[in-house]
Amino acid sequence: MPQPLAATLTHLRVGNQTFLVNFYQEHRDTFAAWARQQHQLDPAAAHELLRSVLVEFYDQVADGRLTKLPADVPAHIYDMAAQQLKATSAALPVAEASRRSRLLGQFGQLSADCQQVLMFFYFRGYNFKKLAGKMGFANATVGRLQKASCLRRLYDLHQRVE
Amino acid sequence: MDLRPYLDELERFADGQLSEAEQDAFEQRLAQDEELSAAYAAYEQFTADLRWVAGHETLRLRLRNLDKRLDERQTALTNLKTRTQAARMRWSWLVAGLVLALGVAAWFLFRPQPLDAEQAWTHYYVPDPGLSETEAQRTSNPLLVQAMRQYRDGHYSAALHSLRRIPASTLGDDTLLYYTGVMLLRQNEAGAARSYLTRATQQPASVLANKARYHLAMAQLRTGEWLQARATLQSIAANTQNPYWVEAQAALQAPELFSRD
Repeated sequence: MPQPLAATLTHLRVGNQTFLVNFYQEHRDTFAAWARQQHQLDPAAAHELLRSVLVEFYDQVADGRLTKLPADVPAHIYDMAAQQLKATSAALPVAEASRRSRLLGQFGQLSADCQQVLMFFYFRGYNFKKLAGKMGFANATVGRLQKASCLRRLYDLHQRVE
Repeated sequence: MDLRPYLDELERFADGQLSEAEQDAFEQRLAQDEELSAAYAAYEQFTADLRWVAGHETLRLRLRNLDKRLDERQTALTNLKTRTQAARMRWSWLVAGLVLALGVAAWFLFRPQPLDAEQAWTHYYVPDPGLSETEAQRTSNPLLVQAMRQYRDGHYSAALHSLRRIPASTLGDDTLLYYTGVMLLRQNEAGAARSYLTRATQQPASVLANKARYHLAMAQLRTGEWLQARATLQSIAANTQNPYWVEAQAALQAPELFSRD
């Protein structure tokens, strides 16, 4: 069901990413044409750029850097893309940005299953029973132990750097 | 600060895994124990960052998977379009081939049949109609009148016989030579006709010389003298005064007549 535009930010803040997923689906080809015309990007690079811009848009909403939905969302996204190509974007405070970017790198070093478990629990907000069901674990306890183990692994990586 | 000594406890507390009594006790410790309180704050920041990372990665993966699906769909659509176009092209070629084949077959069936040499000669030869009854009577030569009557009726042998009975003194040489040649030609004796007609063309100041040239050309064609026939016809076609110049031109343009050049 389409979200009313006014509620978009609220939905994004609570982790409902449908707006951005739909945006990507609807604008992918138009954006690729624009990127080819304006920045001589091939379709694959243009698609990657749009995905990266949408993730950045989402991050800005989640961080609280973006508190008001732009009047013209597509124009705002295209503007962000142009800025990203010029490598200028509204950044988080340095300490926070570097902490999160480091954690993002460490998260990427985890196994795919661990990443999935942590995404289900910390982003989707699944309880242990649902987590176990989604991951194919025997029961909620296994789910809890797996999640605890993955969190420790991530924390170990985190501590190793610090 | 290293959270590992506290991690188990903090996790159970944050995840709501403690009983009510354990939770109360933990909260009390949290208020009194500075180390634990600092660890809890660090844990909260770590999990908040983790939530951000998890959201970021979830969206990134969702978009990447969507991109893959869209690419696959586009590839499938492109393949389908290519296949459809290829099929359409195949059908177009098939239909074009069929139309061409039908056209060729129709042309083959209904094309104008080329004439063989015999048919061509009959088709292009314009025989002399002979003198009309009135013209013949005007000569006051009963044998000529009879010969012309027989000639017009298609009795060429009898006409020739009557013509040969006319004394040379009563009729001009050119007339006798010309009509003898013409009648021999009509009787399919082109070889014999040729010599009479050749002589008729050589008669000085004869009105029949031009006409004789045409019949001579046709006699030459009949006897296979293609080069001479062509030359004679060309001389007739070049002379608009010749009564047969149009016929000569038509004969020159008929490939069937000269196919054995």
